[in-house]
Amino acid sequence: MIIPAIWLNALIFASELTLLSIGFTLTYLTAKIPNFAHGTYAGVGIYVSFTFSKIFGMSPYIGYPVAFIIGGIISVIIYVLVINVLTRMGGGAIVLTISTLAIQIFLGALIQIYAYWLLMRYGTYTQIFMLKDYDFKIGDFPGIFIVSMGITIVSVVLLHYMLTRTKIGVAMRATAEDPELASVLGININQIQIFSWFLTGGLACVAGAMIPLWFMATTTSGAAIITSIMAGSLLGGFDSVYGAVIGGFLVGLSEVMLTTWGQQIIGVWVGEYRPLVPMIFLVAVLLIEPDGLQGAYNKFMASKRGGKMLQSIGLRKKED
Amino acid sequence: MLQDIAFGLLTSNVSAITGSSRLIVDIAMYFGLFVIVAMALNFQYGNAGIPNMGCAVQVIMGGFTVSALTTRLIFILVEGAGVGLRTWATDFDWVYNNFFNVDLTNKYLATKPILGISMLLFSLAVSMVLGAIMGWLIALPAIRLRATYLMIVLITMADAAQIFGRNVVAISGGTLGMFIPDILRWYPGDRTVVTAVITLFIGLVSFFIFRTMLNSPYGRLMRALRENEVTVSSVGKNVIGIRRNILMFASGITAISGTLLAFYFSYVVEAQYQRAFWTYWPWLMLILGGPGNNAGTFLGCALVTAMRRIIIVQKWLIESLFFFPVAYFESVLLGVLLIVVIMFRPNGLIPEKLLYIPGINYTQMVKEEVKVDWRGAPKARGSSSGVSGLFRTLGSKKEETK
Repeated sequence: MIIPAIWLNALIFASELTLLSIGFTLTYLTAKIPNFAHGTYAGVGIYVSFTFSKIFGMSPYIGYPVAFIIGGIISVIIYVLVINVLTRMGGGAIVLTISTLAIQIFLGALIQIYAYWLLMRYGTYTQIFMLKDYDFKIGDFPGIFIVSMGITIVSVVLLHYMLTRTKIGVAMRATAEDPELASVLGININQIQIFSWFLTGGLACVAGAMIPLWFMATTTSGAAIITSIMAGSLLGGFDSVYGAVIGGFLVGLSEVMLTTWGQQIIGVWVGEYRPLVPMIFLVAVLLIEPDGLQGAYNKFMASKRGGKMLQSIGLRKKED
Repeated sequence: MLQDIAFGLLTSNVSAITGSSRLIVDIAMYFGLFVIVAMALNFQYGNAGIPNMGCAVQVIMGGFTVSALTTRLIFILVEGAGVGLRTWATDFDWVYNNFFNVDLTNKYLATKPILGISMLLFSLAVSMVLGAIMGWLIALPAIRLRATYLMIVLITMADAAQIFGRNVVAISGGTLGMFIPDILRWYPGDRTVVTAVITLFIGLVSFFIFRTMLNSPYGRLMRALRENEVTVSSVGKNVIGIRRNILMFASGITAISGTLLAFYFSYVVEAQYQRAFWTYWPWLMLILGGPGNNAGTFLGCALVTAMRRIIIVQKWLIESLFFFPVAYFESVLLGVLLIVVIMFRPNGLIPEKLLYIPGINYTQMVKEEVKVDWRGAPKARGSSSGVSGLFRTLGSKKEETK
């Protein structure tokens, strides 16, 4: 079985975006702010992959655990030093969002400085690169396809298990629902927050580490992907992890496929407008259903037809 | 130094303004541009609580007005007057004959001050209208929703505007950019100084407009909207309509600065209007100076603009301190300054003041302690204050049950 290169592009990008959207939604759930620095974690991951492959001469896949830890630590540092302090000071959602923007600018500049330092130190071209040569192949599939799909599926399943079956996952959900009530019940909110920030940062960094193995990566590609992340998260409903899985995957898939089909049907120049696809999603979701897929699902299930459907499955008792 | 500037202002000696005098003109120009943007931002965020993260879109509209509309109009008028311009109908000719056309037009404009001034006024008016329309359009999806949604939409729209500017050649020449006619060619002195003076003047005018609006009943309404929108809507005000009006008005004013920037450089390219440049720096100015306070905005704007221009001018000196280019250092500075100001001076350098209301000493009213002597008030029977009151209530209830 041979998958066309376009579908490979779309599926790899979609799985990376799914990971990023899940992290973005988790941050929104626990901290109640859109974290604009989330895409920049992916930028950090890109350079972790670069360092492992080009500087250390190893397979970039060895760098994934390191990327997870580095991303997690950066995220925790941001939470402890900035977000937590501002929340305690009583900063509102707008102030917190501006602070994440500032972090994005700062982290982006650090990445650029690091890339420049590598350029000066090792004399390799670090601004625009691709690591396809360091990839392996299984049959007709490139390694990154299997790895990215595998990591995404495994992390979605693990996350589902964690959020529904383990104590820390339930505590996380409780913290997201009502922090004060959760703290009354004896949950250490601060620890839960740190854990969730570590998780989101790590996942984002791993997703970023997968980008240069198939796509062109630059110093700013981490910051540029934030629109797609937000579109995916918003399509999912912004406060639903399962929605983010579907939303991220759909936005990633359609960003690549719509652009490619547009190029085939209308003309090559459509390719320049690829960043508009997530923006169209963003605007369309806000205009049609601000609560995204989760909101639409809830509405459908609350309606008569949804009720009938639930009855036919057997989830709801039939009315006499 | 000042004599140099005055000399350059009055005479045709362009080289009169050099060195630090040129730096002062540059700082004045950028101060004027950014103070317009920052004041409009202060009007929206500081007073009405609307986080407009899409200033770059409105500024870009100002620039595109000049490059796409004013330039075409001037070309048509100049051709009508009998000057033989090269063809500019197709996209290719529009960009590649642009330089020659602008050169020919400038020669014609050198003797037509009225045409130049009317074109300036035309571009200001059109950019205001287009900026307001743009503000309405980009706020359309999210103005009804939470403030964070509005921020997300507006911040992405800046990129969308830049993508269109980069790829639609008819707007501003795509990635190459394009020259625009020098409408101040008739002036004998230095063009940049005049543009700076015009910009500062417009900044001053918009300051008075914003001040008047703030001190009117509408200003009180805006502050009420910022503090508690539920209360405002409960007394019969259309919250979404007011928000949209404020956003549109401020967007129109913001677009002016893009127009003036285009005239300052006589050149428009989409890369001039980056999101970082026209959104994040004005936000830093606003937060540093203190939101909800025009004096603070002026101070923050002056400090940040002077710092940035000096960094750019003294680039070589500063670059010798680091191993990396100054552009990255600037981004680090922007990020760190934003966080530090938000954390350590959340109210900015100059805190917000109470509004002026004619006839009422509002400040004194807020400060005044209202003392009411409750002992003199008539006591209600069976009042439940204190322990004795509690017993009395219980007793009366017992009596009732009997």
